[in-house]
Amino acid sequence: MVEKEVVVNSDAGIHARPAMMIVREAMKYPCDITLIKDNVEADGKSIMSVLGLAIISGSRLVIRADGEGAPELVDYIIKLIENDFRI
Amino acid sequence: MANLTVRQFIEGKGRIDLQMRLLAGEGGLDKEIKYGETNRPGLALAGFFDHFAFDRIQIFGQGETAFMEQLTEEARLRVYEEFFSYDVLCCIFTHEYIPDSRFLDFADKRNIPVFLSKRTTTRFITLFVHIIDEMFSESVTLHATLVDVFGVGVLLTGKSGVGKSETALELIERGHRLVADDMVVVKKIDESLLMGASSELLKHHLEIRGLGIINVKEIFGIRSIRNRKRIEIVTVLEEWDSAKEYDRLGLDEDKYTILDLDVPVITIPVRPGRNIPVIVETAALNQRLKKTGINAARELDERIKKWIISEGGK
Repeated sequence: MVEKEVVVNSDAGIHARPAMMIVREAMKYPCDITLIKDNVEADGKSIMSVLGLAIISGSRLVIRADGEGAPELVDYIIKLIENDFRI
Repeated sequence: MANLTVRQFIEGKGRIDLQMRLLAGEGGLDKEIKYGETNRPGLALAGFFDHFAFDRIQIFGQGETAFMEQLTEEARLRVYEEFFSYDVLCCIFTHEYIPDSRFLDFADKRNIPVFLSKRTTTRFITLFVHIIDEMFSESVTLHATLVDVFGVGVLLTGKSGVGKSETALELIERGHRLVADDMVVVKKIDESLLMGASSELLKHHLEIRGLGIINVKEIFGIRSIRNRKRIEIVTVLEEWDSAKEYDRLGLDEDKYTILDLDVPVITIPVRPGRNIPVIVETAALNQRLKKTGINAARELDERIKKWIISEGGK
């Protein structure tokens, strides 16, 4: 299991398009992926779930993955968030 | 359990209006409500302070106020002094009764919030307990979809991509109602009741691969949605695994644990050509039947056993 923390800095937060970018990448991996904000867990492979976290600028997120490809996926999502979804 | 202050209670009372107004003791609004119970301070007012539950919300009904009114000025002051020597959580006067200024002065000095309510005492206590129970309830967010199927709250779980939302869509098409898609906020209202709802943000929306996000309420109308529903059965959708043994009889009831409460669970293997919504509908109906005391698998088993003894033995 891999777990890393990241602070979201994009002004618009994680709205529909950024959520889709996370989910689309996650779907390529067989591992389970969970995004956690304030102890609420969301499935990183579900758009609704990620949107439901209501992630805004300044939100602290924990990205947790378990299974094949977990470290790569966590790193990619963190890179996405840190680069303001411009990759 | 999150900390709950008097202020949070007043501000967050939600749909039910307790019709309260602050009279004094504003400085004590940030006191923490630790218990979901109320206390009628009648005995304390009569001078008996043993076991005085001062850390509960004190409800002054018609009995208490009538008692206070018939006291002499001097006796009343003595009672107030002793009453306010405790760190009382907060006082509520029902029937819109306004206590005398002495009482309010004490409350201001000791920072004990005093409210009046238009409600009657019994009604106030009933509503208070109802609201506080919900506020105190444990809560968890699940990655699942919740649908009201024939009045039974069916929680659809399973890995992403297995078809939870598609199953929900088909169920909506068949006249059932969506509560939440992909994220269900579950609250344990009581030791036997799990209430599921959507997050305020996602309410009434559904994501279908290929279509994207759709607004169920706008497309299918008001009859296709509901805001919350008690969770009565869990279905786990999973890819058909030929190596796995699936329940063929329904004699044993498996349990799924949410917030330490057991809910009956059925595992439905998904395979092309299997009509999952119909299976879910039937599971919901079967659950209702079980609640009325009819267990089809057990009854058939009993019938066969009886037959074996009477006929088969010959």
